[in-house]
Amino acid sequence: MNFIKMILMAAALFTASSAYFQNDSFGQEGDDVKKEIQELKQMMEKMQQRITELEEKNRALEQQAKEKEVVKENVVVTEETEVIQAAPQPRQESFLSKVAQTLNPDISVIGIFAAAWYSRNDPFVFAEDDPQNTGVNLQELELGFQSIVDPYFRFDTFISLKTEGVEVEEAYGTSLFSMPLNTQFRMGRMRAKFGRINQIHTHAQNFVTLPIVAAEFLGQHLNPTSIEADFLIPVPWYMELSALGGSPDVETPTFATDEANANNLAYLLYVFHLANFFEVSDSLGINLGASFATGSNGTGPKERSNLYGADLYAKYRPLRQSAYTEFRLQSEFMWRQADTPEENLEDYGFYAEGVYRFAKRWNTGVRFDLTDTNTPVAGEDGGDEELLSADSADLVSTRAINPGETLGLPGRAYRISPMLTFSPSEFSQFRLEYDYLNQNYAGNQHAIFLQFQYAIGAHGAHSY
Amino acid sequence: MKRYTLLQCFTVFITFVLISIFFSSEDVSAKVQIVASLPDLGAIAQEIGGDKVDVMSLAKGYQDPHFVDAKPTYVTKLNKADLLIYNGLDLEIGWLPPLITGSRNSKITSTDALGRLDASTYIPQVLEVPTTQIDRSMGDIHPKGNPHYLLDPRNGIYVAGGITARLKEIDPENASYYEENYKKFADHLNQKIKEWDGELAPYKGTEIVSYHKNLEYLSDWAGFKEVGFIEPKPGIPPTPSHVAELIKKMKSMDVKLVIASNYYPQKTGSLVADQSGAVFLSIPTSVGGQDGINTYADLFDVIVGDITSALKNETGETNHSASKAGG
Repeated sequence: MNFIKMILMAAALFTASSAYFQNDSFGQEGDDVKKEIQELKQMMEKMQQRITELEEKNRALEQQAKEKEVVKENVVVTEETEVIQAAPQPRQESFLSKVAQTLNPDISVIGIFAAAWYSRNDPFVFAEDDPQNTGVNLQELELGFQSIVDPYFRFDTFISLKTEGVEVEEAYGTSLFSMPLNTQFRMGRMRAKFGRINQIHTHAQNFVTLPIVAAEFLGQHLNPTSIEADFLIPVPWYMELSALGGSPDVETPTFATDEANANNLAYLLYVFHLANFFEVSDSLGINLGASFATGSNGTGPKERSNLYGADLYAKYRPLRQSAYTEFRLQSEFMWRQADTPEENLEDYGFYAEGVYRFAKRWNTGVRFDLTDTNTPVAGEDGGDEELLSADSADLVSTRAINPGETLGLPGRAYRISPMLTFSPSEFSQFRLEYDYLNQNYAGNQHAIFLQFQYAIGAHGAHSY
Repeated sequence: MKRYTLLQCFTVFITFVLISIFFSSEDVSAKVQIVASLPDLGAIAQEIGGDKVDVMSLAKGYQDPHFVDAKPTYVTKLNKADLLIYNGLDLEIGWLPPLITGSRNSKITSTDALGRLDASTYIPQVLEVPTTQIDRSMGDIHPKGNPHYLLDPRNGIYVAGGITARLKEIDPENASYYEENYKKFADHLNQKIKEWDGELAPYKGTEIVSYHKNLEYLSDWAGFKEVGFIEPKPGIPPTPSHVAELIKKMKSMDVKLVIASNYYPQKTGSLVADQSGAVFLSIPTSVGGQDGINTYADLFDVIVGDITSALKNETGETNHSASKAGG
């Protein structure tokens, strides 16, 4: 229909333009031209009328066709259901989604920065990822590469870039196939299943700073290069038992290679974890876990550290009342025994945090954490060289040590941290936090943080 | 060495392994174990599978399917699943993948496994597939297109067809049973669709405002025109300036209906409706989204019923006020 319209238009234009040129060349024959123009005008009016008529006709026909289509569509549903019955063919992907089909791994980059103010010139900082000084700090830049390897494995890599250097935070393969006893293997370098916070990446933590106990006992995180077997125990609730064996090549104050017995399998690092999850109701879930890690601590031949942990995580999310409101409670307790040539050390620490999400994009919470090491010991280079008994007072007076580099803290330290978080979207986040730190051998400290976080790339999944 | 030797740890460990062996020798039920990510898929699978299957749905009907908690109990369900049915188009990207990884179940871990059914591959057309470059400045958009296709009942038939075919492959012994159930399901739904079409026919072309871009398929089927959203961008909560603008737009266009899934915040929606002289309607958008919705057809009975009665009242009111003005 439309092309008729176009032809008519073209004809009209042609006549009009030729009339114009005629007018130009025979300017003196004004009356004739006027007449002609009049005629043309009439002609065009007629044409216009005709066009409108045709348009209307066209519209009516289109309408008819559409109605027919609607009828057809209804029939199609019933017809095609027959086809589907016979041999359902998955829909062909569009060109664009085909272009998007690459075998590259999912790539993500997460940047965590924090503006910080400390009340001290030389602040007490416990974890490597904590903001180091007054000013603006790069806490961590995490690069993630994740993909399925083949029908049997997936591989997840997380590289952590910091101002001081690069760390392979995790790089491990996970088995995807069925095995006896519901076993799953993880092989490579990974955050060990010890408690809860050790498995949570910095960007997913609820607070700007890491609990002192995790910083001191686990050395930021316990991520040995290792082999781990996870068993799903067939009980009425969810129970997973994990056993990990690996090199004690971790940068922790608690474990280090025993140089004198480096080939003794008994002095490698072993981590065991038992996780339980109880779905109390649709709204309430409770995780209860117990952990045990043992390995040489490098203070002397056949000297061993044992680390025990208990963890609790409860999440209350009343979905029927509100889509986003939730309350989370997370707490962990760790107890450490370390044999040294001089004496046997025992110390403990715990933290408890509550987070209340009161709107889709807002949450607030408070954390209390305490670590008590009765026998402070200083070590050089992360505590694996010589673990020596030292007098607490000495340590404190000279401040020869950075608390982050000791096996034990100088005595008892507790910290209270309230925070408020705003996430404009799932991919960005601001967090305001105040930390009050109290230590019995060293000074108190106030700190205020404003943390910024950005995530780009693949949409990560959230664990429970 | 002194205390807590490796031997002791090992003993504990072995004990657990023995317990595992003891427990794992228990029931191997003959029924096909189906896990569905969404209750709608679960409900359809239940109608097709009848008493030959056990169906478990992960997300709840009264819950936003984008944000489901990846509860560890779901791992135990997936561990025993013969068939996992999921919505696809990245709707479950934030929570399903780690559950599948944790399942240790070869039947479902491969993307092309027999026991893994991406229901979206069976629908004839995905709406809103981006044709231009996209990024997240546009909000939380789905690169593969709008994933809420189950809100068009016609798609339910296609999905049921896919599920039937898969069940026949997994459990060929009962193939004719599934086939029969499918015919029943499709016939019933087709007939229902005709009824609903009739009920909705007078309201074709109605302009509506919705909370999130999750009613596109419903509108496409019912012939509604979505002229605005309470969210300024997908996944971004409403801002005052956006709401003010929306109200202005609605007034000028004389929009009469604001619809939101009942799991979205209701306050802004009803405020917008109040201010613009429209009706606010909170509808269940999934099986189990409201008490009494147990099947896929129930869902549309409620949706169509709610919408038509709201529009009936609204247009009735308008007529009433018009006649008043005329008199």
